[in-house]
Amino acid sequence: MNAMNAMNAAETGSPYLEALGARLGELGLPAEHVRVTVADLGAHLAECGGVPEEEFGPVEEFARELAPGATRPAPTPAGPGVETWRWTADTFVDEELLGRFGDEGWEVERVDALGRFVCRRDLARPQRWEYRRELVTRGREGLDGRLAPDGWEACGNWVVYAWFKRPRAASLGPAAELSAVPAPPSRHTFLSHRFYAALALAVAALTASGATVALRADDATSGLGFTTGLLAGAAAPVTALLLTHRRRDRRP
Amino acid sequence: MTADRRASWFKGVLDLLVLASLTDGESYGYEIAKRLGAAGFGQIKGGTLYPVLNRLEEAGLVAAEFRATEKGPGRRYYSLTPAGRETLSEQGELWLAFDDSVREVLARAGVR
Repeated sequence: MNAMNAMNAAETGSPYLEALGARLGELGLPAEHVRVTVADLGAHLAECGGVPEEEFGPVEEFARELAPGATRPAPTPAGPGVETWRWTADTFVDEELLGRFGDEGWEVERVDALGRFVCRRDLARPQRWEYRRELVTRGREGLDGRLAPDGWEACGNWVVYAWFKRPRAASLGPAAELSAVPAPPSRHTFLSHRFYAALALAVAALTASGATVALRADDATSGLGFTTGLLAGAAAPVTALLLTHRRRDRRP
Repeated sequence: MTADRRASWFKGVLDLLVLASLTDGESYGYEIAKRLGAAGFGQIKGGTLYPVLNRLEEAGLVAAEFRATEKGPGRRYYSLTPAGRETLSEQGELWLAFDDSVREVLARAGVR
């Protein structure tokens, strides 16, 4: 039962509390816990006379603070019937690979501190999973709430990206269960041709610039100095690029 | 800068302050906020206090009981558990030792 159905608008008297109760239910809090939490917060508001948004902050943020277990589920320990695998990829190919590995039964549990997708697969009843990536450069206010009704659950963050997972059973039903699964891939790193091409282009441009300066000045040290200057000047954007390619577990 | 620093200090000890405010008996969220506000910590928003109460309850350091009231929707009353008292004592001592160290260094630097 939806937790919020247990409570009508007359009980909360506040759209904010109604939205909060609904979100807490979506985050997995038991209906009774949601009911008393919302009632308690209603009493608090009545006593302090405050505006809900000012007193408690944005609904999504507050709901996640009140349901920390739902925000960060405990990793499932690997057991006899579960296998685990960690891998990483650049952002040119991660979506495609997530789709492929999701179809092989790999469920992403989180993105670890080294930027790897931490996956598990239930060997007894492997299921297909699907994924989506969202850009969250302007924050993720309301994003989880918008995706949750369609069954999407957050499974990892990396600076400007957030990943969501959904069991294929949501759309395929029992057909989403796999009768057999391939062995875990032996690779753990997947860098695309586009990634290498971008890297090669940068190196070639740097070398050509240095050589041109050296030839024009007829002095190899000028070319070296120019190249060093370019490298120093590029340090900031390169650092940003590296940060962008380093997935981190947030929260966070 | 000063406000940020105070907020940072406060965040670091809020759980201890909440535990300490329950040593005289059970209380509820708004009353705890009022007590701490009156002790000089300024207005404490519900958005700051309730997640801390939740975490303390999950950790077994406080127990919560919801009671309906004649007027209004009811409240959750919080009380210290034995584990909460023990944690308050241990962590409180650590904070006081930390405070002593800070005072000593500042005094040596001429800050009175």
